[in-house]
Amino acid sequence: MKQLKTKNNQNELQIPITIRIENYFSKEIFRKILDGVVIIFFIIIVIGPIFNIFSTILTNTSEIIYDIFIDPLIGNLKWQLILNALLNSFSIAAIAVIIDILISIPMSVIMTRYNFKGKKILDTILDLPMAVPTSSLGFSVMLFWMIFKIEPGYTLIILAHVIFTYPYILRNMKIVMEKTSTLYEDSARTLGASGITIFRTITLPLIKEGLIAGSILSFTRSLGETGATIIVAGLTQTAPVMIVGLRRQLELPTASFISGILILISLILLFSIKFFSRNLKFPIKKVFPKFEQFISSKSFKRVRDVFTISITIILILIPAFYIFTQINTSAISKELYGPDLKWAYLFISFMNSIKIGLLTVIVDLIFGIPLAFIIVRRKWGKFINLLDVILDVPIVIPSAALGFAIFMFWGPQQLNFLTPGFYMILFVHITFTFPYMVRPIIGVLKTWNSRVEEAAMTLGASKLTIFRKITLPNIKQGIIAGCIMVFTRSLGETGATMVVMGNVRTIPLLIVDWVEANSYNSAVFASIFTIIFSAILILFLKYITKEGKFKNA
Amino acid sequence: MPKIELKNVTKTYNEGKIVAVDNISLTIDDGEYVFLLGPTGCGKTTTLRLIAGLENPTSGKILIDGKDMSNVPPNERNMGFIFQNFEIFEHLTVLENVTFGLEIKGLPQKVIEDKAIKALKLLGLYEYKDEYPNIFGNPGLQKLGIARAIAIEPRILIMDEPLGSLDPKISQIFRYELRNLIKRLKITAIQVTHDQECAISSADKIIIMRNGKLLQMGNPFELYENPNSIFVANFLGETNFLEGFVLKLVGKEAMQVWIRMGGPKMYINNFKNKFNLDDSIVIAFRYEDVYLFHKDYDFKNSKYDWYKMNFFKATLENSRFVGTTKRFYLRLDNGDRFVSIKPGTFEENFEPGDEIICGVHQNDIFPFKRPDDLDYELSLQ
Repeated sequence: MKQLKTKNNQNELQIPITIRIENYFSKEIFRKILDGVVIIFFIIIVIGPIFNIFSTILTNTSEIIYDIFIDPLIGNLKWQLILNALLNSFSIAAIAVIIDILISIPMSVIMTRYNFKGKKILDTILDLPMAVPTSSLGFSVMLFWMIFKIEPGYTLIILAHVIFTYPYILRNMKIVMEKTSTLYEDSARTLGASGITIFRTITLPLIKEGLIAGSILSFTRSLGETGATIIVAGLTQTAPVMIVGLRRQLELPTASFISGILILISLILLFSIKFFSRNLKFPIKKVFPKFEQFISSKSFKRVRDVFTISITIILILIPAFYIFTQINTSAISKELYGPDLKWAYLFISFMNSIKIGLLTVIVDLIFGIPLAFIIVRRKWGKFINLLDVILDVPIVIPSAALGFAIFMFWGPQQLNFLTPGFYMILFVHITFTFPYMVRPIIGVLKTWNSRVEEAAMTLGASKLTIFRKITLPNIKQGIIAGCIMVFTRSLGETGATMVVMGNVRTIPLLIVDWVEANSYNSAVFASIFTIIFSAILILFLKYITKEGKFKNA
Repeated sequence: MPKIELKNVTKTYNEGKIVAVDNISLTIDDGEYVFLLGPTGCGKTTTLRLIAGLENPTSGKILIDGKDMSNVPPNERNMGFIFQNFEIFEHLTVLENVTFGLEIKGLPQKVIEDKAIKALKLLGLYEYKDEYPNIFGNPGLQKLGIARAIAIEPRILIMDEPLGSLDPKISQIFRYELRNLIKRLKITAIQVTHDQECAISSADKIIIMRNGKLLQMGNPFELYENPNSIFVANFLGETNFLEGFVLKLVGKEAMQVWIRMGGPKMYINNFKNKFNLDDSIVIAFRYEDVYLFHKDYDFKNSKYDWYKMNFFKATLENSRFVGTTKRFYLRLDNGDRFVSIKPGTFEENFEPGDEIICGVHQNDIFPFKRPDDLDYELSLQ
């Protein structure tokens, strides 16, 4: 009788089809399959090309040595050029980061400890260069410094790099400074320490990690940048620019060699940073009361603040947005609607950028969400740590080198799976944007109280239902942040794209092409167009993350 | 209908380094309201999570209605779980929180709404149904957690400190409501609590755990009257402990004990364990079982029968009036201390320093063999 009753009951229930499907696919076996597929995908797209480039170098050693070191005509001239390019790259990155740190330390204090009108607007404007395609920025910078007769070359590269690396340090510093309680500073003040002493001995050690993380990001961004560099470099060669050049001339062994060196150095940097960053100490115990009291005095403080802000404006804001003063409507329309149909190219390139950006976001989403879950949730010990380190590889490796490695791996040289063109660009973009999708999701997953999922489980929900109805709404912000980051990075990328583009153009490449062809007016239009487009995206990102803060509070 | 059985269940973490639940076997009968009691970290919560399937036992079996639950995921066990930290879905409204489990069952929309509203009304949350849970403080969240769990009409309700966040007074009212509700729904319920008063007043059965082990299980009265270990005697209720040794055995059911260092001699009756002459033992008796008499009390003309009573002298050190009760802190001649609780209406007025005659009934004393690590047994951790 009882049996009968329960059966009747079950007949009344009409479990929705979605939930029934989710119940079925929540079986352990499907999770294992997904884990396996995602990890294999991740390892193939990241490790495969890198492994391949090293094996290419090793199998073609004799050819490479012949080409680079003992060419019968030019001897080791190529080696000299490579060395020179590498030195340029590293010295530019180092100088840019030092300038960034010098401006961003006082600036982060201004942005977190002061209150003034227009702070939010300034904050957004300072973040903008991060999202804007670097070739637009580079073009703007070049136009600005031409007024002062600074020709394209080493100095101009540094000036350009400071602009788009600066937000990375400032942002990281700001995040940590905001989290650091001012109580420490207050208690030091009650002990009689002056402002600078407090900052140096109390605040700086607390924000050390933010400073280090920001510096690393800035350094790697500068090291790998191509789009702006190619515009402002003149005759100066940096390593990524050289790779692009060699790829154009089809000198593949030499390009492999220099890509290999760049990748190796980046990997060494990444691993040593992962292991040693926590042990880094600042020599700051000693206190110089008189000197520091002098430079903490009110008048000095004002001078310092004014100086910082004016430097920021002159060095960063004006050059970055100088391009807006260059609008010459009649010239632009004359060029764009000229006989060579520039507007059509602009439209096609823009559509290419959007298509590649969106497809990249979709693929990154499909594989990025499960990978974030694997890294946060699975308890596989050392293997997870390894995955976590590998995840940063595409960020630290200069994109031109990575792009070249991918070209060599997937292209006709090795697997012959793709030829340069739309799909290869897509593949490259998926690889180097992948961490930008996974990192924010890992971030929210780690901070979110996932015990709520257990509550849903006891209420009868299967794993997939829980994911859809509980987990997804809660980590939504991380996912959206990841999507926008990926999209803007894909939109602005130049170096890797140049290596694999074939005859397909995206917006930043079009700008490079037009600048090289001296079609300045069209380049101005395209640059302004992309800057505005990216600005809208980053404003949306800010809105989303702010919304998150509000809800959590 | 559900009957829960745990058979030699063990749960370890960190590859066996941490033993959360240590070889527990127990049976919970259909419709029973069971309380798990024990100090923090004793494995209560882990036991609940094992029963709910949120953790898998390292070894042993969990049976529900005789069916092995090893391969049944928590979402197919039809158990309501009320979490200590509520675990409310903050992105859903109050009503959506409650309908969540019902929708997954695939009930018709009308039924879902009726049931959810019924649960919300029961917990007094109906007027907030369209708000988001972030308007609530802890008590509100806890009520919502309860509403959400009972709305799905589970066969088994598992509760981890469900009243922990409510004000003491509200919690007192609420625990009766909870018991009535559970009895009305005829479900099996397991509750973890720190509040032993709540456990004793609501439970059909109490299980006492310590360090992952099950110490004693039984109905509240049984446990209170027959603690099987020093820890249980100490943990439930308020108990005095004195050390001594067996002076004389009187048949199988009685003996005389001499409290250490020339303390009083006491007769003990009605005990289960077997003792030998000269065994070192610890005796336990409840605060409320200590009678106090003025030293001039006229026992011969008393209207009460003081047969089988142990009498001994003690000095009053201190006394406190605690609302409904009075507490007397006493010292024996050998320096050992003990406490007596009397109702607030107790009329004798004693001053600190007074010599008092104390009485403890032979049946009210629990004797235990003195363990080697007495301090550990007496600590409440």
